[in-house]
Amino acid sequence: MTQPLAILQGRTMTQPLAMLQGRTMTQRLAMLRILVFSYAAGWTVVRAPHLLDTIDLASRRFGGIGPLWWLDDPAPDLLVVTVVVLTPVACGAAALGWRYRYTSLAGVVGFLFCTTYRNSWGQVFHTENLVVLHLGALALFPAACAYWSIKAAADCADPAAREELAGAVVKALAVLTVGTYFLAGVAKLRISGVSWIDGDVLRHQIAFDNARKELLGDRTAPFAALMLRNSWILAPAAVAAILVELAAPLALLGRKAAGLWSVLAMLFHWVILAVMAILFPYHLIGIALAPLLPVERIGTSVAAWHGRFWRSSRRLGPLRRLGNSKRKGPATARSLP
Amino acid sequence: MTRLIPAVAAVLVLSPVLREPTSDSYPLSTYPMFARDRGNIHSIATVVERTGDGFERLTPKLISGTDEAVLASVTVSRSVRRGEAEVLCGEVLERLGAGHRLEVRTETLDVVELSVKGSVEPTVTVHATCGGAP
Repeated sequence: MTQPLAILQGRTMTQPLAMLQGRTMTQRLAMLRILVFSYAAGWTVVRAPHLLDTIDLASRRFGGIGPLWWLDDPAPDLLVVTVVVLTPVACGAAALGWRYRYTSLAGVVGFLFCTTYRNSWGQVFHTENLVVLHLGALALFPAACAYWSIKAAADCADPAAREELAGAVVKALAVLTVGTYFLAGVAKLRISGVSWIDGDVLRHQIAFDNARKELLGDRTAPFAALMLRNSWILAPAAVAAILVELAAPLALLGRKAAGLWSVLAMLFHWVILAVMAILFPYHLIGIALAPLLPVERIGTSVAAWHGRFWRSSRRLGPLRRLGNSKRKGPATARSLP
Repeated sequence: MTRLIPAVAAVLVLSPVLREPTSDSYPLSTYPMFARDRGNIHSIATVVERTGDGFERLTPKLISGTDEAVLASVTVSRSVRRGEAEVLCGEVLERLGAGHRLEVRTETLDVVELSVKGSVEPTVTVHATCGGAP
């Protein structure tokens, strides 16, 4: 652990994290704000029925965990409904950069409540951990300065300081991403040792997960049987899985390493979906990996397209007005230049 | 000071490594979910509806009130372990409506064989039944 931490401190980190340096960090941070808060808003809307279902569950099933460890009984229904309704609103507003300081904090608190509350009914899920960590990091710093927000925060620092801060926050988001993968790999070695890679653990995990789904009346994974019938795949697959996880910190070493590892990590999640029917949506669609990638290009491309569209709209302006005048008659035609 | 931000993030996200690997929490997790060797013989608790000549499986929504299969599984296992199988049976029956006969049970089976062959004969232990005759 010493090495990854060492490269994150002081001036020595400039070289290993070079792909995260430059004048684009403010833009990348702004794009990450849009992606992560939009995802949180969408997730809460999509999962709202499940979150609201908890209102009808027997209180004996509840036991607060994490930030809700102190809660022995379910929260009041009105509170649950209010948070489920307001969280996507706050996250949506934060994604747009509207009153970011307040909406981002409200969004992260609401999302943390929703997901912790969901996990307090007997099963701790691991699909939203990284979303919460990313939201928290984004909410702590001004991620709505200057770029792609409907109203830039009034307390934005000067451009140079802003760029330095944005670079540090983007690095923090990247570290959070690779850290979660690295920990998952470490857990496998700590719990099962190197025997995890012989393929048996993976075989039993896939089989158990699918059997449980079948017995509980849920959909099973489409490729589980195929993989288990061809058991020679399991050992290489186990090695590949643990390598992707343990090699995650290497993604901080440079642009190519980040790109390569991100592709492998996405592939890893698609395989999990195919053989275990376990959906990690934040990772599958790549937002989890976005801090490592030049996602600011999405914003600059959209801005360039918008600029071209706007210019062509202005060039066509007189014609359009003429078209309108023909439809509306002479009264409007008089307003033409 | 800004240079410390990534270091603080690293310390935060890696801090669960100081806990027992099986001691999970949220949002800072040790990610133990696929780490343990579960073996191939499992006892999986579930709730089924008895029909004239057999049984039908219920959906997670009917079993536990939510659409999460994993949560449904944990709910049934916990209820059986705590001696609350009859209470759970009543809750499921309430969701399903009258005129159904339910069974809370544990099926012990070889999960690899089930996945590979498509079906397997489990050993069934019934913990509770409720509802009217099918």
